[in-house]
Amino acid sequence: MKLDLKEVKRLAELARLASSDAELEKMRDELGRILEYVTRLSNIDTAGIPETESDLMMLPSREDEAFPCDEATRQFILSNFPDRAGDALRVPAVFEKPKG
Amino acid sequence: MDFLNQTIASAHLGLERGDFSSVELTQAYLKQIHGLNATFNAYLTVLDESALEAAKQSDVRRAADQSLGSLDGIPLAVKDNILIQNTRTTAGSKILENYIAPNDATVIRKLRDGGAVFLGKTNMDEFALGSSTENSAYGPTKHPRDLDRVPGGTSGGSACAVAADLCVAALGSDTGGSIRQPAAFCGIIGLKPTYGRVSRSGLMAAASSFDQIGSLTKTVKDAEILFSAIHGCDPLDQTTAPNQPFRMDYPKKIDGLRIGLPKQAWGEGMTDGVRTHVMEGIKILEALGAQIVEVSLPYMDEALAVYYVLNFCEVSANLSRFDGMRFGLREKAASLMETYMQSRTQGFGPEVRRRIMLGTYALSKGYYDAYYRQARKVRTLIHRAYAEVFKTVDVLITPTAPSTAFKIGEKISDPLTLYLEDIFTVGVNVVGIPALSISCGDHEGLPVGMQIMGKMFDEGKILDIAYAFEQATKI
Repeated sequence: MKLDLKEVKRLAELARLASSDAELEKMRDELGRILEYVTRLSNIDTAGIPETESDLMMLPSREDEAFPCDEATRQFILSNFPDRAGDALRVPAVFEKPKG
Repeated sequence: MDFLNQTIASAHLGLERGDFSSVELTQAYLKQIHGLNATFNAYLTVLDESALEAAKQSDVRRAADQSLGSLDGIPLAVKDNILIQNTRTTAGSKILENYIAPNDATVIRKLRDGGAVFLGKTNMDEFALGSSTENSAYGPTKHPRDLDRVPGGTSGGSACAVAADLCVAALGSDTGGSIRQPAAFCGIIGLKPTYGRVSRSGLMAAASSFDQIGSLTKTVKDAEILFSAIHGCDPLDQTTAPNQPFRMDYPKKIDGLRIGLPKQAWGEGMTDGVRTHVMEGIKILEALGAQIVEVSLPYMDEALAVYYVLNFCEVSANLSRFDGMRFGLREKAASLMETYMQSRTQGFGPEVRRRIMLGTYALSKGYYDAYYRQARKVRTLIHRAYAEVFKTVDVLITPTAPSTAFKIGEKISDPLTLYLEDIFTVGVNVVGIPALSISCGDHEGLPVGMQIMGKMFDEGKILDIAYAFEQATKI
């Protein structure tokens, strides 16, 4: 099972990965072999089988709300910013081609 | 005086008796690390200063008769995907080369509350994706007995550190065998607890429905001590289960215990050395009173395929957070899109990129039903198969890995061959049950691991069996 190069290029774009054509060519082969292995799953009859059925016990859902963070933790988070302006995170512009 | 070659239990005894202080013990281990880490590459970061400070505080507590228990003052190693506040945490990746953990993982907080000393952060396959620790951006870890071989992975740094006595014991994480397989290769005890029994808060996510923190130790007793300290429900991890009782009986005999050998596992797919030693291990358990029965556990090959499809999907989703924006490497580029692409391409290694690509494929329109959804359905069938087999036996036993430690470079060039290495371990993560690996002898000088798998929340039983085995085979 071999993917075509166009498809691998499209995948790299979706995954936000920039790879050279040589790398993509190599990956095309590797991905094909791995996908071929896992294709065995399609031979199993799963008609009427639910997607989850587990005996895992979990905590019930909770409200999605902010909880306080101590000053030390806050400072570490800020110090991990790749670029900052004071306490704000500086990011590249989202709109690259403003309408003239 | 030789302070090294300690287990948690022996070091605790030595500290209580006043044979040595925690500072002396910690210094001895740090000296050992500084002497040998260049050879093994087991640690990525060594925490000299904070370790000695924690050891000093432990000694003060002990002198004041306020010791916090069996972990107080004990030097441990921690896999580099588990957060320790104010400590560099790379997960073996270039993209996090300068990342400083802002908070403690829940397991670290718990160990800290018990007075543990953290010696450093151990090497691993990048983002816990691999089976040999060769996928680390910081170079492979070496096998403690043969520098040309891998220690297993992904917790290879932790396994090597324990086996080479560069720490007393260590934490690792296990997504598809990442604690058990390196434990098997290095000849130590690796415990992967029940999914949901140990909090994953502060563990960097690889594949969230499989990941679990556990221990790598020299003895079964030490595995019990660490598990007792780190398990329990945690409001910071919604997938933790309500607390369940945990107890070990430390039996000498295991009369009447029913051990199942899945016939699908005992076919062609293992080396003769592995087969011989694990069969000998099973004979010992039989002599200790266990009843050995052959059982059928279908979908073994499919479990590997299910595991990998879902691993790719979950990994590609989890690692989408690395976009060069809020933390981690940001490669400056002309546009936002280029910044994403360059940061991720420069930051991630080849195996991580490969899995992100595969996950993106399996989750994309047109393939989602055939891969992701079908894998989830087969996962349900595998659940049912395990539930069925556990109606008739108490535990299952297989080898932990098909072979002993292989040579560095031997399998890394062929991703699929390396994936097949996980055939015996992934089923446990697909279902969520606990399992451990214990050494059952050496083949041509390299350790062979026996895997004991238990029912959900049955850590006590698999540890009891391992303990009886350990006592019976103690030299």
